[in-house]
Amino acid sequence: MEKILDKKRIDDWIAALDNWDIQGPVLEDDIWSYQPVSGAVRLDHPNTKQSPKGLAFPQREIFFKFEQIKGEAPRLTQVVPDEQRHAVFGVRPCDGRGVPRMDLVFNDHVEDNYYQARRKNVAYVGLACNKPPSANCFCLSVGGSPVSTDGLDVQMTDLGDRYFVKAITETGKGLMAAAGKLFAEPSAADQKQVKQVHAEAVAYPQRAVRNVEEVPAKLKASFKSPLWQELAQACIGCGICTFLCPTCHCFDINDEVQSKAPLKGIRVRTWDNCQFPDFTMHSSGHNPRENTGARLRQRVAHKFQYFPENFGMPQCTGCGRCISECPVGIDIINVVNKVAENAA
Amino acid sequence: MINIQDIRETARDMLTKGEVRAVIGYRRGSRGMLAEPTFITSAEQADELVWDPTCFHNLSLYLVHDRKFLAHIRKNAEAPVAIVAKGCDARSIVVLMQEHYFKREDVYIIGVSCEGTGVLDERKLAKHLNGAQASNVAFDGGDFVFTTAEGEKRLPAREVMADRCLECRIPFPREHNIVFGEDKTGRQLEAPFAALTRFEAQGTGARWDFWSHHFDRCIRCFACRSVCPMCYCDECVVDSITFPVTTETTAEDKANRIRWIERSAVRSENITYLMTRAMHLAGRCTDCGECERACPVNVPIRLLNNKMEREAREQFGFEPGASIGGPSLVASFLDRDPGDFIR
Amino acid sequence: MSEQQVYEPRIVAFLCKWCSSAGSDLAGVSRIQYPANATPITVPCTGAISPMYIMSAFNKGADGVLVSGCHIGDCHYIEGNYLARRKMKLIMELLEFIGVEPNRFRMSWVSAAEGAKFAKVVTDFVNDLKPLGPQDKLKKAEHT
Repeated sequence: MEKILDKKRIDDWIAALDNWDIQGPVLEDDIWSYQPVSGAVRLDHPNTKQSPKGLAFPQREIFFKFEQIKGEAPRLTQVVPDEQRHAVFGVRPCDGRGVPRMDLVFNDHVEDNYYQARRKNVAYVGLACNKPPSANCFCLSVGGSPVSTDGLDVQMTDLGDRYFVKAITETGKGLMAAAGKLFAEPSAADQKQVKQVHAEAVAYPQRAVRNVEEVPAKLKASFKSPLWQELAQACIGCGICTFLCPTCHCFDINDEVQSKAPLKGIRVRTWDNCQFPDFTMHSSGHNPRENTGARLRQRVAHKFQYFPENFGMPQCTGCGRCISECPVGIDIINVVNKVAENAA
Repeated sequence: MINIQDIRETARDMLTKGEVRAVIGYRRGSRGMLAEPTFITSAEQADELVWDPTCFHNLSLYLVHDRKFLAHIRKNAEAPVAIVAKGCDARSIVVLMQEHYFKREDVYIIGVSCEGTGVLDERKLAKHLNGAQASNVAFDGGDFVFTTAEGEKRLPAREVMADRCLECRIPFPREHNIVFGEDKTGRQLEAPFAALTRFEAQGTGARWDFWSHHFDRCIRCFACRSVCPMCYCDECVVDSITFPVTTETTAEDKANRIRWIERSAVRSENITYLMTRAMHLAGRCTDCGECERACPVNVPIRLLNNKMEREAREQFGFEPGASIGGPSLVASFLDRDPGDFIR
Repeated sequence: MSEQQVYEPRIVAFLCKWCSSAGSDLAGVSRIQYPANATPITVPCTGAISPMYIMSAFNKGADGVLVSGCHIGDCHYIEGNYLARRKMKLIMELLEFIGVEPNRFRMSWVSAAEGAKFAKVVTDFVNDLKPLGPQDKLKKAEHT
């Protein structure tokens, strides 16, 4: 389904989606983040600071509550994610491509019920990047595109005073059908303009990971390379790169005790991060990933070697957040290129 | 004006003579105009050193990393490490020495004066450039000169400088082995603690509204802790890695363990984390502002540290990083310390 | 708690074992009437109190936190209370700074002989806390 929507009518479209919680990019404290919006939605954002992954995979997920009276059996109460449906507007193609990658992780071997329960209720309304929103965008070199529809339910393209709106999935069709009257049929000129805009978007120069299909083998051959530590020497071991990443999905599970008598608490899943020194710390004090080099290698190789080996595609979608936001200049493009270049 | 060649020459000379193991400095990074930390070990690399308004980083963090590494491999330092340090960074080094983290002879301080200016605030710059990208930035007297696609753009430094630099009282590394640039102490462009004073003018309710908003936004990536040279504890109170969980561990065992701060990034836990950090930095923070710069969600962390700095100064006459042999704030006292708040 | 009941603030009281803790005992054995709102935690010295304890008490739901130790000059460890005076001043300022009501935190010097003073300190604290109502700013949220 391909339609034209007058830019001024987007608020009416959102108003028509009355059973949906609408998430849109909001500029607050100088950063863009997805937040619930009502009425006016702004789509003039570059990209949000954090990816929208938190809607299906929140930073904190309570699995169950527990309670035990001394001498009695413990009582567990499962906490089930609510059934609220969320439609996220303004999702950039890189973040859209993050969605199927997250789906693979949380569906492979074991189906993650909590993830699935949330995921099925999220619709991603994408916005094509007419030009790269960040100087560190590199989607093209990792198999993506500024006009990719991968992972999206709807793709919108900015045509100046109107949007070209394309339904990608059945969910997307449903979203558009909810306000069918607002949409017009695209004219031949519209179609031509979309093609033109998309062609220009793809032609925009971007930074690039070189020869991404050769990277897995090269990284495999570089496991013991001293380059890792050299490139990671400045790494401070914070969680910025992973927490902002649209595909980083590592988590930790903890019991958080709320009261001792009676014993009460929750089991909770929280995001974790392979760059924290204690991520792989053993209780003996031994740490198999003992330095920043080993930890950076883990993150980079996961994106560019292990994931391709397991699923046949790089996990990285080229959003460039980890590059732009790293406080000390660790640059994943540079790291991959350098290590690959120097591979045996 | 600092001539970068002088810094490079110093580094080259010391590395050639083997006087230092390495020089920790700044180089041009691979992303845009930003400098990044570099660790050079041979004289040939000295030419990569740079000095510009994007040299934000407090490199003394890497002296801490170095110490930890040496302890890990159970080796003693063979030679000192040289480090490029701004005024605030040099004060951090002094605090580390005051806390016996390393000795004076273990480090060779290549001081750089911030002269009339300081480092850039990327957020302020972004507003000025309005979407455009700068590929380079240089000091030029009281101005910063940016190279953009549309040509050269000159901005008065005070419009795009970091708040911490505008308010800096001592933009000069008093502790140094060699120093470049003029000492322009006393040139502060804004009153010390100006941002803090503006904030404190508000009432209790408004302050809580402000902080509860920001405490909610913290994503607990711990960039503030990781980037801070003073956060060198082997185990932070927020991590509970010394408590193994085995199949034998009962819920009651877990309940009896001390967990100061839970992993959940929720308001109560974020507050406990950020407040504890502020307390642990009292009298140690030298206002390098790295925590606030590193924060990906712009939590105004510096205000908390500033508050402690001002209390230390006004109530106890304490100046962090003033002297290597001096006492630490919370392990010392004076008879005249205020006590009128005690019943 | 039924609606008729008045709100009773919960106080966590960190008491030095050499003075205030004994002072609270004296208040008890002297049969001085004072509110039972304080849960005492005996510490070896106020100098041993980490600001973390105070944050933690609030985190776990305390409506007020009291720190009480020996008068200046009387510390069993010579200088512990001097150190406490500094640290507690700092945490007090910081709590106020983020918008916590100043009356939620209190410090006092109560010697082992001052049972009546201990009773007064607690009574005053409870009276000052009552109008503030429950402390929910720093408290861990009820998990839902």
